[in-house]
Amino acid sequence: MATKSNQIYIALLSLLISTTLFTVSCKDEEVDAEEENELITTVKLNFTSGGSTQSFKYSDPDGDGGKTPTIDAISLKPNTAYTLTVEVLDESKMPVGNITDEVKKESDEHLFVYTPTPSSLLTYSYGDKDTKNFGIGITGSAKTNVAGTGKLKVQLRHQPPINGKATKDGTPTPGSDDINIDFNVTVQ
Amino acid sequence: MKRKVFQYIILFLAPLLWAGGASAQDCDCFIQGIVQDDATKQPIFGAIVLIKELNKGVSTDAKGFYRISNICQGKYTVIGRIVGYEEKSYTISLEHGAEQNIKLSETEHHLANIDIKAQKIENLTQTKNTLQNATLDQTRGQSLGEALKQISGVTTLQSGSSIAKPVIHGMHSNRVLIMNNGVRQEGQQWGSEHAPEIDPFVAKKITVLKGASGVRFGSDAIAGVIMLEPDTLPDSTILKGEINSIYFTNGRQTVNSGIIEGGFNNSNAKKITKIPYSIGYRVQGTYKRGGDISTPQYRLANTGIEEINYSLSANYKRKNWISDMFFSQFNTKIAVFLGSHIGNVSDLIEAIRRGSPLAIYIPETFTYDIGRPYQDVHHNLLKIKNVIKNRNGVLSLTLGRQYDYRKEIDILRGDRNLIQLFKLTTYSSELIYEHKPILKLLTGSIGINSLYQENLTTGTITEPRSSTVLIPNFKNFTSGVFLIERIVRNNWEIESGFRYDIRHLNVYRIPRGGQNVVNNTQNNQNFSGTLGANYRPNAKWNFMANASSAWRAATVNELYSDGVHHGAASFERGNENLVPEVTLNLSFTANYVSKNFQAELHLYNNYINNFIFLSPTGRPALTIRGAFPEFLYTQTDSRFQGFDLNGIVQIIKHLSLNSKISYLKAQDLNNNQPLIQIPANRWENTLRYDWKKTSVSLTNLYVAKQNRIPKKIIFSDIPSSEIVFSEYGGDFAPPPAAYSLWSASASQQFAINTKQTLNISLTISNLFNTTYRDYLNRFRYFADEIGRNAAFRAKYSF
Repeated sequence: MATKSNQIYIALLSLLISTTLFTVSCKDEEVDAEEENELITTVKLNFTSGGSTQSFKYSDPDGDGGKTPTIDAISLKPNTAYTLTVEVLDESKMPVGNITDEVKKESDEHLFVYTPTPSSLLTYSYGDKDTKNFGIGITGSAKTNVAGTGKLKVQLRHQPPINGKATKDGTPTPGSDDINIDFNVTVQ
Repeated sequence: MKRKVFQYIILFLAPLLWAGGASAQDCDCFIQGIVQDDATKQPIFGAIVLIKELNKGVSTDAKGFYRISNICQGKYTVIGRIVGYEEKSYTISLEHGAEQNIKLSETEHHLANIDIKAQKIENLTQTKNTLQNATLDQTRGQSLGEALKQISGVTTLQSGSSIAKPVIHGMHSNRVLIMNNGVRQEGQQWGSEHAPEIDPFVAKKITVLKGASGVRFGSDAIAGVIMLEPDTLPDSTILKGEINSIYFTNGRQTVNSGIIEGGFNNSNAKKITKIPYSIGYRVQGTYKRGGDISTPQYRLANTGIEEINYSLSANYKRKNWISDMFFSQFNTKIAVFLGSHIGNVSDLIEAIRRGSPLAIYIPETFTYDIGRPYQDVHHNLLKIKNVIKNRNGVLSLTLGRQYDYRKEIDILRGDRNLIQLFKLTTYSSELIYEHKPILKLLTGSIGINSLYQENLTTGTITEPRSSTVLIPNFKNFTSGVFLIERIVRNNWEIESGFRYDIRHLNVYRIPRGGQNVVNNTQNNQNFSGTLGANYRPNAKWNFMANASSAWRAATVNELYSDGVHHGAASFERGNENLVPEVTLNLSFTANYVSKNFQAELHLYNNYINNFIFLSPTGRPALTIRGAFPEFLYTQTDSRFQGFDLNGIVQIIKHLSLNSKISYLKAQDLNNNQPLIQIPANRWENTLRYDWKKTSVSLTNLYVAKQNRIPKKIIFSDIPSSEIVFSEYGGDFAPPPAAYSLWSASASQQFAINTKQTLNISLTISNLFNTTYRDYLNRFRYFADEIGRNAAFRAKYSF
């Protein structure tokens, strides 16, 4: 017959063992900043014509939610050919993260799409090509027509390969939006 | 012979006295014995022992003794039952052949002496349904959620076909508590695309307790409790095991799981002075691998799964003492269908408009490869339990530690980007004292539970570094004390209990756009109660009525979400001012059992005050990725009412029909409209043919269209000019049409020798390759459900 003190001894012993087991596995943990997700806060459009550059920004430095984003209004001259370059940044970090470089590196799975409304507002053509000869849209040209107002939708379509098979086909259809913003445009 | 799992031990003392032969019409046989509590060895007074075939029963006297006399020769099923204990039935033969010449005198009888050792069950005034043995074997290889669909009233919330969460009476996630081997599962259950981090092969018995169970299990047990229990460990010198192999044609999935268990004791020791003890152990492991699954029309890209799990358990038993240790690890990698990756609401609307996924998302070639996006989940559980018995009762202490690691990897640029990372560590303890009957009338238990957890998603716990996480860092402490008492009489039981809980939540976060860490605290406390009765007027009927309450404090995602929920294409905002929701659950169950007919009707009415849910505002939320419909966490008073009806009719010998109906109506009482995302009503019929060790069945499942959906935006302070998304009450598409699915199954058992058995079965689900979509599958917007799937199962026990 087990004595009472024997039982208490076993109880204390197993409690001790369990406590040790429990605390051994408890150490201070940390999640590295590098493990955290990417954030696009800023899209900058640079229109260059005749040596002078105008920049327009869509900026949401605190990411989704929080403060409402600030969006510059685009103002362009009629019947003018502009060189249009785009910059994609993460301004929540110091130093500022440059996502354009990453898009350039993986140009086979990215496509910028510029859609003016009404479509007569300006004409966009791609000025760069990926390895498969599809446009990328980091550099291109925008030619304005007659004076008017409207919108310019800028999309970055992310079209990663599926099981090693490329999905980018030069059209916006595959993939999903990483950027989808509208600028107000005045041509005058 | 294989021991019946997880039921109480029956000590069958074979007929002690056969008093020779008798004439063919001899009806002087009798059966007698003692009914006693398996744990305490106390005789049970008032237990009913009956012979099923004759519907003849007696109840035990104060010494637990019973005797049924004047029985004719024959084969009988003897049932021992009392409220508060599990029922046990077994077969006994009261027949003889050879000695017919001997004349039986009046004092000689055919006699069987049977002592029944019954094991107490936790609750008998609430409805519970169990999967074990053959019904559990039939689900082997499936996820926990899929397996539980067998139980009426339980459905699933799915993200594709590999992620399934159990839904009880229309509620899921934080409202369904899962007790894994006696420890409450603490994973990332808040997320609708987070399946329970559990390997169902660990369990030999899965029980679903329907209805609020806040008193015994603490907060969150609003809709019900799912209990997974392994087999008891061996306590004699033995080595045995089981191997399960399953192959699913759809996705070419293989599942292999094995168990080896053994034990030894010193009962053979020569020295009498030695204290008897026994040791038992078990090693269990599962490996699962599947590739892209197919719908009737097309294959879905990136829908594979890989899972490696194992568990180790051991115990040490001596006279009044049991020490039990359990460790399990669950690791899974689940591919998420590529076509479900949604950039913003226009991507989603485009996907819905297309009807079926783009050609690139439905490849011709099959692969096992898991590409982005995918989920990478690990869950560890360590449990240590000690039980001490003495004259006055049983004291048990259960300690648990869980670590849950979840990585959700999206298809972002570069290889280093993760979308979300969660690390949740939980420590839990439970101390329970079960006292012996007071005044031979009142039995019950008193207990205290505590739980401490830490969630880490960014930086260190108290110093988060990023404001863009979905769930902030937090520390959570809850504790509760409870008392449950019951009075048990011959054929009725009354059970009552109450509980008091406190909860302290500390959140460390950087608000959007802020630079500094904000520390928010939430303190909640609550009383819960339960009152129930069970009445068993005779051997055929059993009635249960129960009123129970439970509560749940708002979780961190409900309080502080602020961002885009990818895949759901919604912008979700938490609400810091949410108060705990409290439920009052009224239920009534009638159960009828006779030789050729069994039926159970479960009626429920579940009021939830301050029910927390995500409701659309109809406004677009503007982000750099485009516009997302905005959803806010809000509260309303709600009512879930419905019934589950389950009936089995023995049509002719060997042939039976099982019919299950689940009906549910969930209403938002403040806004006077249905609640969103409630499972549709369903009716399932199975025709089953059993002959010896062979069984064949054919099943039809009919799922109605969910016509009860919200129609209006409930936020009255939002001007209608801002409402853009309101077409389907905030949903993106109307609920899918009703569907009817057929499945067929055949199984055969082989006895290799006395110890070894082999069970093989073939089940074909979605027999006619029907194309359908389910309202509670989040992928219903983009893709059809899984097509025909044949499962080959083999189970070898030794």
